[in-house]
Amino acid sequence: MAVSADPASQVQVRLFAGLREAMGWSEQLVELAPAAGGSNPAGTTPEQLWRQLNLQPAYPPAGVRVAVNQQFAAWDSSLFAGDELAFLPPISGG
Amino acid sequence: MLPIQLEADPFEPLSALAEWHQFLAAGLGIRPAAESHFVGRVRPSGANDAPLEALELEHYPGMTEACIASLAAAATGRHGANAVLVRHRIGLVLPGDAIVLVAVTADHRGPAQRCCQELLESLKHEAPFWKREWSLGVGRWITGNTPL
Repeated sequence: MAVSADPASQVQVRLFAGLREAMGWSEQLVELAPAAGGSNPAGTTPEQLWRQLNLQPAYPPAGVRVAVNQQFAAWDSSLFAGDELAFLPPISGG
Repeated sequence: MLPIQLEADPFEPLSALAEWHQFLAAGLGIRPAAESHFVGRVRPSGANDAPLEALELEHYPGMTEACIASLAAAATGRHGANAVLVRHRIGLVLPGDAIVLVAVTADHRGPAQRCCQELLESLKHEAPFWKREWSLGVGRWITGNTPL
């Protein structure tokens, strides 16, 4: 996986609980696909990064939710440089 | 006193409620006519019925607190409750220890009870916490919640 020296083009990806332990890492910087004008018109999505990072199980992972910048988000939401993306395995609080 | 707090160490629910009552009266001038409370504690055995050594609670720092605050505000507004208290453990919790305390005050029992139940259920399903049962030296992540 390519990691750019420019943090302005990256997304921080975080994993939690069983997903983190299954994959063997908790967070990493992932470079977004280059786009003109410094924006992200191609709209890299959490679904694309799930596939790109070879996360398991294969998409769609049952019960796994997505958070972008610490707010629940859709799998097809657009990611932008500087975003914090988290994949959240099934929640069990309380 | 913060109405929503994650606790890394054991807490005593009745003491937390007493502090909250003092805060409501002295800080906000609230003397509740109706209250509903829920205390959840760690069971003595795990999902496979083996004796449970501990329950580990992981959370997403920042998002978990914000999520509980948002859920509490929404439930309070929806039911017309007056005030809410949430204490939730993180880290290793021993059998018998409190995991969660939810308390709600309102003018009448109905709103207090409904708000308390709704808030508890929403935080169990919407606030990013993850439980791992430790039994016989082996940890096992729990997916989902026990039925209501």
